[in-house]
Amino acid sequence: MPLPNENTPPWTDDEHIECVMIIPEAPDVRTFIFRAPSGRWFRYRPGQFLTLELPVSTATIWRTFTISTSPSQSLSISVTVKKNPESVGVAWMFDHLRPGVRLKASGPAGLFTLPPRPDGKYLFISAGSGVTPMMSMTAFLFDRGEQPDITFINCARTPRDIIFRSRLEHIASRLPDLKLHFVVEHTNPYEVWSGYRGRLNQIMLGLMAPDYLDRTVYCCGPEPFMEGVRESLIALGFDMGNYHQESFAAPVETAEEVPELADVIVDDTPAEVVFTKSDATVTCRESDTILAVARSSGHNIPSGCTFGLCGTCKIRKRSGEVHMVHNGGITEDEEAEGFILACCSHPIGRVEIEV
Amino acid sequence: MATDSDVLAALMSRRPGFSLPQPFYTDAGFYDCDLRNIWYKDWLLTIAAPEVPKTGSFVTLQIGNAPVLIVRGADGAIRAFHNSCRHRGSRICAAERGRNAKLTCPYHQWTYDLDGSLVYAREMHEDIDPADFGLKPIHCETAAGIVFICLAKDAPDFAPVKAMAEKYASPHDITNLKVAATRSIVENGNWKLVMENNRECYHCAGSHPLLCRTFPDDPNLIGSFEGTSVTVGEDHVRRCEAAGMPSRFYMEPNGQWRFVRIPFIGDACSYTEDGTPAVTKRVGQVPFDNAGSLLFFHYPNTWNHMLSDSVTLFRMTPISPTATQVYTTWLVHADAEEGVDYDVDRLTRVWIQTNLEDQAVVEENQRGILSPAYEPGPYSSLQETGVIQFIDWYAATLQQRLTGRSNTMAAE
Ligand code: FES
Ligand code: FES
Ligand SMILES: [Fe+2]
Repeated sequence: MPLPNENTPPWTDDEHIECVMIIPEAPDVRTFIFRAPSGRWFRYRPGQFLTLELPVSTATIWRTFTISTSPSQSLSISVTVKKNPESVGVAWMFDHLRPGVRLKASGPAGLFTLPPRPDGKYLFISAGSGVTPMMSMTAFLFDRGEQPDITFINCARTPRDIIFRSRLEHIASRLPDLKLHFVVEHTNPYEVWSGYRGRLNQIMLGLMAPDYLDRTVYCCGPEPFMEGVRESLIALGFDMGNYHQESFAAPVETAEEVPELADVIVDDTPAEVVFTKSDATVTCRESDTILAVARSSGHNIPSGCTFGLCGTCKIRKRSGEVHMVHNGGITEDEEAEGFILACCSHPIGRVEIEV
Repeated sequence: MATDSDVLAALMSRRPGFSLPQPFYTDAGFYDCDLRNIWYKDWLLTIAAPEVPKTGSFVTLQIGNAPVLIVRGADGAIRAFHNSCRHRGSRICAAERGRNAKLTCPYHQWTYDLDGSLVYAREMHEDIDPADFGLKPIHCETAAGIVFICLAKDAPDFAPVKAMAEKYASPHDITNLKVAATRSIVENGNWKLVMENNRECYHCAGSHPLLCRTFPDDPNLIGSFEGTSVTVGEDHVRRCEAAGMPSRFYMEPNGQWRFVRIPFIGDACSYTEDGTPAVTKRVGQVPFDNAGSLLFFHYPNTWNHMLSDSVTLFRMTPISPTATQVYTTWLVHADAEEGVDYDVDRLTRVWIQTNLEDQAVVEENQRGILSPAYEPGPYSSLQETGVIQFIDWYAATLQQRLTGRSNTMAAE
């Protein structure tokens, strides 16, 4: 394949792309690398995706994948995909894509990208193959030759399922302000794991990125994962104007497709907390916590952590609704029995509590 | 206060086949020696697994000076920890049982995950590495649905108990039963008197008229020898084994634990006043109502009865040289409905009464031993072989742990 020269135009999707390499990344995860047979180069923004037309048996199907290369390396383009039991398109790619196979592709497209002048402080949070756009962004920021400030969090099932681990570690070893954190749900027996375990939560977030409030967040993963991240950030008072997300299941192409996020955002709407034991009614705002309302009105609720972990502030709610984002300090049974954690519950309208 | 060498001297000079010299039942130094060498070294029965049914369910108990916390983790595993905060030592859980999402110290709210790791210590992040301050674990093993702990640094091999418990107790499927009732009493007697009392039925006819309606007091059936030396025992074992229930007498070579399945009197099926079942649903895979009782003792702290309709676990824990807690747990089929399939009163009556009767005899025994006139007396070789066996185990074990050798038996 010819190499581009100073007159070569960038690739456009009227030309098929040709698979040139296939790299295993993790169990059931492969990177497929493509080039343009004409020698044209690739122009896109980090975080964007490519749509591939796959000739699966009888039909032709389209699948979109975020690009795992950085536009700073424009001679080839790659996607990194994970095969799930249900996947049809990816299964076809695993079985049939070989070096030399040409495919029709369209794009690159997508709005989940870094700003034109990416000079901010970033917090990248991803799960599973949601790491791909983050890899592209990180490589791009690195290749730019400035000293980017990135806190990078990736969650995986086990250490072996972490995609791009060594590439990220290599970049991090050359960028003092790239803070790399991995969180795994389970560890592999007989392999040492000294990183975080469990599911990403507010406490981990606070430890990994103490200055998260100053950062622009990019989040990519399955919807429930991103929902958990949003809930945590909202509860922590993060300005959601600085939050961007992409579902790796359904990348977003146009502004109209950007999902309306139905998160409960507590605001300054007036609310009321009734303390039944002292028979007192205190007006407040929905943005206040029940604990803060109690304190300011001379009611005693013992507390410890004040972020929903230790369970000390557990009280019974008689009626009304609260919005509670806790960190594991209460069991589902207790919630079902009407208990809440005062420190991380916001009143919605009128709430009666047994204090 | 007596020292370990006083205890050793007393052991070496004891008269085998006789009750122990007075200080073994009364002296604070001897008691302390028991704690350190028996109670903090051996496997102890604690609870049935169904007593901690869900994630975060916990039970607390006290072994000598050691407060213990047993809790079921998010992964379903049952773990035991020293119930003492790594900050300044406060007891973390005070309730006897409950359910919590996290283990939070009430003093300054240091917060531990259910697996014992420290997850939060307010305003301490800079000063300590949480990895150094997790709750201290205690060896914890579950055998056939029964949870055992061992406070020793290196625990004795538990595999033989586990294998045998799983073999003998599996027809009763304890893991899937539910707790129908629990009772705790304090007997003002040394723990060895409580066990001695349990190891013989010499006293049964005189003390336990209610129990004796169903429980055979023939020492050949229930004592330390094979329950097959009398034909009724042999017949019962054969019938039960043919039906798939391991039943034949098995005692660990060092005598520390035993299993045997014995018949009840006549066609009795359970420890009820009239011998009829106390619960309409049979437990596990027990094939018939009159399966008798699978007896399981494990020194130093437990004896148990596993029947066709229920399982009753007994655990004792020492409180002082002259006080011992006895804790009883009754388990029934998980689907058995209280008031429909069983009546708690009827289920528990015989053993509540029997425990009270034993409490009375143990306390009288203790009062008499405190007398300046007490001296060791002979055990009956017909009726009290079980007591002789227990005291020999106790003396041999203590002596071995005090000297590091097992062959320094006093001349006989
Ligand atoms: S104070 Fe810790 S959960 Fe509320
Ligand atoms: S003693 Fe437990 S937190 Fe201080
Ligand atoms: Fe008795």
